[in-house]
Amino acid sequence: MAQFFTIALRNFLKGPTTDPYPFGETYTPENYRGIIAYSPELCIGCGTCEYVCPSGAIKLRHHESGMNFSYWLSTCCHCGNCGYYCPTDAVFNSNDFHTARAQSEKYDATINDDIASVQCSRCDAMIPRAVDALLARAYDEITDTVRHRASLCPDCRRLEQFERMYL
Amino acid sequence: MSETYRVPVGPIHIALEEPVYFKVKVHGESVEDVDILSGFVHRGMEALVLRRNFLQNMIITERTCSLCSNNHPFTYIMAVEKIAGVRIPPRAEYLRVIADEVKRAASHLFNVSMLAHLVGFHSLMTQTMETREVLQDVKESIWGNRMDLGANTIGGVKYDLDKEQIRYLIKQLNLIKKPIRELTNIYSNNRIVRARTEGVGLLPKEDAVRLGVVGPTARGSGVNNDIRAIYPYVVYDKLNFEVILEDGCDVRARALVRLREVFQAIDLVEQCLRGLPDGPVTTPGLPRIPEGEGVARTEAPRGELFFYVKSNGTDKPERMKWRVPTYLNWEALKVMMPGNKIADISVIFNSIDPCISCTER
Ligand code: SF4
Ligand code: SF4
Repeated sequence: MAQFFTIALRNFLKGPTTDPYPFGETYTPENYRGIIAYSPELCIGCGTCEYVCPSGAIKLRHHESGMNFSYWLSTCCHCGNCGYYCPTDAVFNSNDFHTARAQSEKYDATINDDIASVQCSRCDAMIPRAVDALLARAYDEITDTVRHRASLCPDCRRLEQFERMYL
Repeated sequence: MSETYRVPVGPIHIALEEPVYFKVKVHGESVEDVDILSGFVHRGMEALVLRRNFLQNMIITERTCSLCSNNHPFTYIMAVEKIAGVRIPPRAEYLRVIADEVKRAASHLFNVSMLAHLVGFHSLMTQTMETREVLQDVKESIWGNRMDLGANTIGGVKYDLDKEQIRYLIKQLNLIKKPIRELTNIYSNNRIVRARTEGVGLLPKEDAVRLGVVGPTARGSGVNNDIRAIYPYVVYDKLNFEVILEDGCDVRARALVRLREVFQAIDLVEQCLRGLPDGPVTTPGLPRIPEGEGVARTEAPRGELFFYVKSNGTDKPERMKWRVPTYLNWEALKVMMPGNKIADISVIFNSIDPCISCTER
């Protein structure tokens, strides 16, 4: 028993080891995988996050003016798969751990954003944006030419390529 | 009293952490025979994984069990990598061991603290949990969650350690060495703990071999079946460690194996940190899984974990089967329990470090 008394005495002198949360601050690591944060301006609507999400928390839907990204907190298991595979870091786990909600707010804990499409710079087709984060994965340097080509719809890009090479 | 009667223990019982049902035949105070019934938390995971793609299944397998959560995706991914013929970068191999050994240390500390709880030594339990809390903080700070690390991915690992994180990890590991030494001393010498664990739940070596028990349950009976040593995977063949064996064959021996393995785990992490090569942590690009079959085994905290994966060229597995350590170990309860007191049932049950949610998936 004597062995334990030394530990007990040491603990007594050390004071409480728990944090006074919710009345005071608590330690939250920076890397903590909490609620999803989403930036629509970085998203290209590729659907990778929806494909890798094991719990079906992310849904991407097509509509007339582009796509819609939706996320429901109550079914997310905070695994981090979406953020790991997202090519542009548009979605990632923030370290916000405040997931408790009143029953009445259960269906409100969502993210719902439109991923706006842009118009092709040559015709009037609507295309998903190519954000810099994506172009940076494909090209060493994002030149004006790269940017210009990325602003074209696939048809116009093919046409322009043809004009450049054969006309 | 010479009457023989039956006592039901479970499926919901204060001494059990998880639902399992024991039909115990007792004679007076002592157990004569025990019958184990299970199936109360079946979740149909083996069917579920066939409806999800390989990348989603990395997460689903991790949710099989919380304490050996890292080993499930680890083993599953090793089987998938065998099918795809993927060789992971050397740095990833070391990082896989680091994640796994941190989990093992935390899992073993949890089990011995449950032992303290079951023998009624609650201050020892809280103290062990308090020490384990340091590891929980480590997991939360480095991997982002206290239990589900999400460390592995097909083709490598999802995390990398920078200089500062390595310093932090070393510091935290050093912090718990002394407390664990103190606790080990109490677990092995304290009068109360000894009285409740020594000679309790005997599993002779022959029975351990006959029943094919795995993990610390086997090593507490002197049977070496540590997969890390006899069938090394990732970098275990390059690390320097000795399989920990005890020959007490009782609850105490199994607890001591676990406590000594905590030190071993810390040592293995330190070895990995010292030998950590530079380089990438994953193979580039998303993996493509061709048609094929693969198996993999690892040493989970509770013993050998085995995965079988069959793929048919699509993005979902055609069949997946995993065999978890508790499945083999609970047969041994029928040898351990007879002859002991009713009060020892939960102590013995805990000594195999049962994971019902693994076993029933
Ligand atoms: S959030 Fe990322 S992964 Fe998901 S659709 Fe947008 S860019 Fe793709
Ligand atoms: S953290 Fe996991 S469960 Fe949550 S949205 Fe991302 S992939 Fe889905």
